[in-house]
Amino acid sequence: MKIKQEAIGDVYVLRLSGQLMGGPDADAVRETVYSILNQGFKKILVDLKDVSWVNSTGLGILMSSHVTATQNEAVLHLMRVSSRIDSIFMVTRLNTVFRVFEDEKQALANFADDAKSTKDSKS
Amino acid sequence: MSEMKHDLAEKSNTRNEIEFTMPSRLELLVVLDTLVSAICKELDFDEESTNAIANSVIEAATNAVQHGHEHHEERPVRFAFRMAEDRLEIRVQDFGEGFDLERVEALDPTGPEGLFKSRGRGIFIMRAMMDNLEFEMDSGDGVTVVLTKMRNGAAEN
Repeated sequence: MKIKQEAIGDVYVLRLSGQLMGGPDADAVRETVYSILNQGFKKILVDLKDVSWVNSTGLGILMSSHVTATQNEAVLHLMRVSSRIDSIFMVTRLNTVFRVFEDEKQALANFADDAKSTKDSKS
Repeated sequence: MSEMKHDLAEKSNTRNEIEFTMPSRLELLVVLDTLVSAICKELDFDEESTNAIANSVIEAATNAVQHGHEHHEERPVRFAFRMAEDRLEIRVQDFGEGFDLERVEALDPTGPEGLFKSRGRGIFIMRAMMDNLEFEMDSGDGVTVVLTKMRNGAAEN
């Protein structure tokens, strides 16, 4: 699996490619998420467009990343999930944990809306 | 002579069976996935069923590599794909020590306790996605997972 990283404004986008299946992948994703949080980013978007499949260990990697983000008062969303990966999300009910966006524009707009509603509720 | 060969093939069921053995290396699951997709295409499974079968075989193989063989790559994981008229049966065999199936299946990975855990979904996924799932562990030959998917909406007996 490969990881490309890109900051778009205050959103940090992780673009994964290949297969998410444990082994060295787990350490790579975990370390990247820690690094992003240590840089002060609170919004993480994981792009799964080029991930052909995920096994249960890969689901565990996504879940532990989500938990780590939440513990650090950050949010982690997913985008561009294939029908194959979506089927495994439905069965395991991870679709109730992760917000999944169809495209990048929609995901970034949602992060912006969330920030606006948080700001409004504080004022 | 050719008739004799034919009889032998029929008796050993080799006409309808594909066998595959791989070392216990997770990166080789990509090769396995390609084989599973090709077999599903040959048997005219639709996309949904192909995804279910591929996801399940990957889970069985992941368990064999990670838990059965604890990543000892010299230990082989064996696969047998039996293509019958009404079903595809896949046997995935490791040579590990086995595990307590009842204990593993007692934990619901979709419940409030299990949902946020990073482990414990493999067998649940296989059971949800296949038409039948069985474990053979009493032969002293490690663990064999038998996964069955019916073809063309055929009902399982």
